[in-house]
Amino acid sequence: MPEVVVSIGPHHPALKEPVNFKVIADGEKIVRLELDLSYNHRGVEKAAEQRDFIRVLPLLERVCGICSHSHSTAFAKGIEEIMQVGIPPRAQYIRTIIAELERMHSHLLWLGVAAHLIGFNTLFMWTWRDREAVQDTLEEMSGNRVHYNMNEIGGVRCDLTPAQVNAALGRLPNLEERINKYVDMVNYEETMLIRFRGVGRLSKEEALRYGTVGPTARASGVDYDVRKDDPYLAYADAPWNVVTDTHGDVYGRTRVRVWELQESLGIVRFCLENLPEGPIRVPVPKNAPKGEILSRYEAPRGELAHFIRTNGTDKVERVDIRTPTLANWTSVAMCLVNQNIADIPVIVAAIDPCLSCTSRITLLDNRTKKAGVMSFDELIRRYRSRHPEEV
Amino acid sequence: MNRPVTIDTITERMKEFGTAGQVRKNRIRMKTVPEKIHDAITTSQAMLGFDRLITISTVDNGQTFELLYHLIGSDRIIMSLAIDLPRDNPVTPTVSDLLPSAGIYERQIHDLFGIVFSGNPNMKRIMLNEDWPPEEYPLRKDWKPNPDVFYGGIKGERS
Repeated sequence: MPEVVVSIGPHHPALKEPVNFKVIADGEKIVRLELDLSYNHRGVEKAAEQRDFIRVLPLLERVCGICSHSHSTAFAKGIEEIMQVGIPPRAQYIRTIIAELERMHSHLLWLGVAAHLIGFNTLFMWTWRDREAVQDTLEEMSGNRVHYNMNEIGGVRCDLTPAQVNAALGRLPNLEERINKYVDMVNYEETMLIRFRGVGRLSKEEALRYGTVGPTARASGVDYDVRKDDPYLAYADAPWNVVTDTHGDVYGRTRVRVWELQESLGIVRFCLENLPEGPIRVPVPKNAPKGEILSRYEAPRGELAHFIRTNGTDKVERVDIRTPTLANWTSVAMCLVNQNIADIPVIVAAIDPCLSCTSRITLLDNRTKKAGVMSFDELIRRYRSRHPEEV
Repeated sequence: MNRPVTIDTITERMKEFGTAGQVRKNRIRMKTVPEKIHDAITTSQAMLGFDRLITISTVDNGQTFELLYHLIGSDRIIMSLAIDLPRDNPVTPTVSDLLPSAGIYERQIHDLFGIVFSGNPNMKRIMLNEDWPPEEYPLRKDWKPNPDVFYGGIKGERS
């Protein structure tokens, strides 16, 4: 049978973000996949070179709407290492609490999306309801549901009061019960077993070869986890284990994520119960000395790497961001081969793609109600016309 | 291969490619030249077990383009292989045949910096929009948006 090119996206049926797949199919079977992410480059890396560290943090947080804390922590801990500043233990613990709550909300969100894609909308409703408990905790601690803005170079922005700690601890038992239910459900729930098992298989060798990261890699038995390999924040203190599975398919990725929910909950509980006393930040110099660092961070979707080069001023010479989704695309393109077209949504979703991270894109819906794409050039011009004093 | 990877084993096995330096615990940096990068990665894979590429970082330092290949292996030691490319002719051999994951990073760097990875079969746009003008590489330090150039999108549809 001749090969047919099926173009899917950029308005993707499964994802809420723009990506285009050119699927080359032979009948129902996928032969090859071509990928195009080029829908709107926001120029975050270029913009980061123009701002001082204090103003870079909120910018980097907006690289992603789900793992916002990941980006700002990766950057802050990189700059702190270049400056040779050690942040106080209390700040480390607070950063860890936010990081793990973020992982929980991200994994619960993913579980809901995956359930929705296989038509299991009950589970979607359940997980998103339970996710609200996590979101409420984050909002109570930071004032925000998405961009927590907790990081500063040298520590965290705001402290946790005993009342906040108790409120967070009070939400955990119920959440734990729900998570245990999901762990249990994965074992017997017919819909999940049928739609997830054997779909999008990736062997351990392939996962290593294609540079897969995060839960996708751990589901194939690759035990890479930056939190263990290169411990940062409070991960060396807290009791937890790297979760791996040997299924290597979408089912394995689901199991890894629900188990990681349990581990994350344990880390959050440990940090809340053992929150050290003391200051939450230390004063830092304005300028960072010349240096470079590869700052690694285990984001919910996998290893996030910020390569930072400083030049002795209060601005970075270069920040190069490699997001986990970019690392995982290669494996998606590979494990879609020989699968059914109907399984594309769930296989793609199984890496939990985050495209705003990856291409650092934006969509503009301006006052004229016209959607469009704004080039970097126009962005600059518009900014300058509104702020003539800064040009 | 069974010996733990340390600065000494790397120096011993890879001395023909450059001098290794310990940046900090579990980080090793080695400066090499573009002609040797392919062989250096082959050696590090075969002899030292560096089987994974974390990323390829790029820096435009004003005089040259620096590329850093961050490799990691089962010992969780990161080796960063650095090369310099001249600005007027930034060409380097691809390593996507050794490390398939390098393909997408090379495509991204090609798009944003205009560095050519010779031998990469798929040097197409990935990050920038498809109607982005050719020969415009936004992450280069000397790049400035030119008001006379159309950078894509829909003409005359903005407020």
